[in-house]
Amino acid sequence: MNGSSRFLRRWQLLLPLGLFFFTFVFLPLVLLGYISLHNDMGFKEFGTGQYLKFLGDGFNLGVLGQTLWLAARTMMLALLLGYPLAYCFTLASSKWQRVLILIIVLPLLTSAVVRTFAWVVILGRQGIINSLLLNLAWIEAPIKLLYTPAAVVVALAQIEMPLMVLPIINALSKQDPNLREASLSLGAGRWRTLLLVTLPLSLPGMLAGCLLVFAAAASAFVTQTLVGGGQLMFMPFYIYQQAIQSNNYPFAAAIAMVLLVAVLVIVTLVNVAGRSIKGVAHA
Amino acid sequence: MQATGLTLSGISHRYAGMLAVSEVNLEVRPGELIALLGPSGCGKTTLLRIVAGLMRQSAGHVVIGEKIVDALPTNERGAGIVFQNYALFPHMTVAANVGYGLRAAGVDKAKTAETVQRMLALVKLDAMAARYPRQLSGGQQQRVALARTLAVSPKLLLLDEPFGALDKNLRLDMQIEVKRLQRELGITTLMVTHDQEEALSMADRIAVMNKGCVEQFGTPEEVYDAPETLFVAGFVGTTNLLPGTLGLSGAEPVVDLAGGGWLTLPVARPCSSPGQVVLSVRPEHLRFAAPEEPGIEATLQLSLPLGALTVHELALSGGQPVKVIVQRGASGPRHAPGDKVRLALVPGAVPAVFRPAAATALAA
Repeated sequence: MNGSSRFLRRWQLLLPLGLFFFTFVFLPLVLLGYISLHNDMGFKEFGTGQYLKFLGDGFNLGVLGQTLWLAARTMMLALLLGYPLAYCFTLASSKWQRVLILIIVLPLLTSAVVRTFAWVVILGRQGIINSLLLNLAWIEAPIKLLYTPAAVVVALAQIEMPLMVLPIINALSKQDPNLREASLSLGAGRWRTLLLVTLPLSLPGMLAGCLLVFAAAASAFVTQTLVGGGQLMFMPFYIYQQAIQSNNYPFAAAIAMVLLVAVLVIVTLVNVAGRSIKGVAHA
Repeated sequence: MQATGLTLSGISHRYAGMLAVSEVNLEVRPGELIALLGPSGCGKTTLLRIVAGLMRQSAGHVVIGEKIVDALPTNERGAGIVFQNYALFPHMTVAANVGYGLRAAGVDKAKTAETVQRMLALVKLDAMAARYPRQLSGGQQQRVALARTLAVSPKLLLLDEPFGALDKNLRLDMQIEVKRLQRELGITTLMVTHDQEEALSMADRIAVMNKGCVEQFGTPEEVYDAPETLFVAGFVGTTNLLPGTLGLSGAEPVVDLAGGGWLTLPVARPCSSPGQVVLSVRPEHLRFAAPEEPGIEATLQLSLPLGALTVHELALSGGQPVKVIVQRGASGPRHAPGDKVRLALVPGAVPAVFRPAAATALAA
C-alpha cells in the first residue's frame, strides 16, 4: 500500500457527501447567481441590473439593515441569557446536567412552526401575557406585543438558544477546573474569577455560538414572518414576496445573493476579530 | 514575615458514603515543610483541598495561625496552591499571571509591577515576563506557578504533587529550588506526594497516610528508621518483610523466622508481645556473616552492582526472597551466585516488629 492509494480511498469516503453538497448546495447557488444576473423577468437580457436596482434603492437597503440589526440583537440577547445558563450547567451535578441538557436541546426537537405559534399565543392581544396583566389590573387595555421588532428578537433568541448554549457549554467544560481554583486561592473572589478567567477562556465558544445564532436569525423566515407580522419586512420574506407573489425571480435571486454575501462578510469579520484576541485562540 | 502554623483537628471527610479522610490530627509548626505521603487514593489530596477551602470537611476544624477557618472561602484563607499541572492562566503573560493575585488584592499597578519583577528574579525568570505560558518549558511553567503563588505572600504554601510532571533531572533541580525558597521565605508548607524519596529529601516532617488515616507523623529519620506500622515500613523505603514467631524467653528478644533460621534483636518494637509477628529488616541492615557466627541460612541468587552499593538477591531455606545491600568494597566474605551464605544484622540495626496484618485485622 502506498500513500497515494490511501489518499484515493479517503476521497472515496468523502464522495457521497461531496456529491450531495455539489448537487443540492453548490449547483443551486450557481443557478441562483445565474438567475440573478438577468435584467428582465423573461431571462433574455444578461446583466447586473438587479443588483444595481437593489443597491440603489433606500427601501431595499433598509430591509437589509433591519434584517442584520434583528440578527445582531437576537445574537446579543441569546448570549446574555445563554451564557448564565451554560455556566449553571457546568456547575450542576451530573444528575441535574441530564435534566438541563434535555431542556436546552428541547427547542431543537420541535418544529420551528410549532415554537413560533407558541410565541404567537403568548404575545397575542388575547395572549397569556396580556390576559395576566389585565387580570392583575396593571394595564387597562391589551398592549401591542406581537408584530413588534422586540417580539421577533425575543422569540428568535429563544428558538435559536441551543445554538448559543451548546458551544459555550462545550468551551466551559473543556476548561481546566484548576484554573478557577488557582484564581480563588490567589485571593480573587468568584465574580473576579468569572470575569478574568472563566469568561475570557470561553470566548471561542461564545464566538461560535454568536455566529451560529446570527446566521440562523438572519434567515429565520417562519418566525420573522409570523411573529413580525406583515408590517415588518425582513430579507427572507422579501425574497419570498418577490419570487412567489411578484414572480420576479431575477430580483428575488439578487436579494438572496445580497443576504448571503452580507451574512458571510459579517461572520468572517467577527471570526477574524475574535481569533485575533491574544492568547484566546490557543487556550 | 511572621510564619503561621497550621492545625488540623479531627478532620474527617465522607465522600459518596466512603470515608476519604478519617480523624486526621496534625500540628504544623510555623515555617515547617510537611509532606503528606501516601499511595493514590489515600486521602492526601482531599486533605490538601480541605486546607485550601476547595472542599468542606464533614467533621473537624482547620486552624490557620490562631484562627478557625472552616467557614472561610478559598479566597479569604491565604493558602496558595501550586497545582500539579500548574494551572497557569493561558490567556495572560507570565507577568500578568504573577501579578494576578496582587491585582485581586487591590495593589496598584506600579507596586504590582515591582513585586512581579522581584518574584520573577527570585525564580530566575526575569527575562520571560512578556511570554505566554505555552511558550515556556515545564520547569519554567512551574517556577511561574510558584512565583504567582508566592507573590501574594500566602500564610500557607500548598503543593499538590508539584514535581510529578517533570522529568527526573529537572525534578531534582526544582526540589532543591523549592526547598531553598521555602527556607528563605520561612513559609509554612504542606506538600502532597506519592514519591517517598521526594518526601524524605524535602520534608521536615512526613505524615504517612493510608486509607484516609495518618499512620505515622514524624521526621524522615523516624519514619524510615522506626516505622510505627507495617504499612509505613513497607511504603517508605525498601524492606524485607519476614514472617516469624517472637520469643522473649532469653535476655534478648529472638525471632524464629518461618523461612528458616532466627535473628536476635536488641529490642522488640513497636510490637513487644510474643507470638506471630512480621519482621521488617532494611536491606542495608543485613550483612554477610562468617560461617561460625549465628545467623540465617540463605542462598545467593543474584548480585547487582549499582555504583557505590551492591544489591544482593537471596533466598532463605524456605524459598522466601531477601534483599541485602552492602557497600561495595566493604570488608567481609565474598560470595558468588549459588553460594550458601549466612546473614546477620549489622551492629546497631533495629528491625521493626509488627503483628501480621491478618492478626491486626482480627484484633481490630
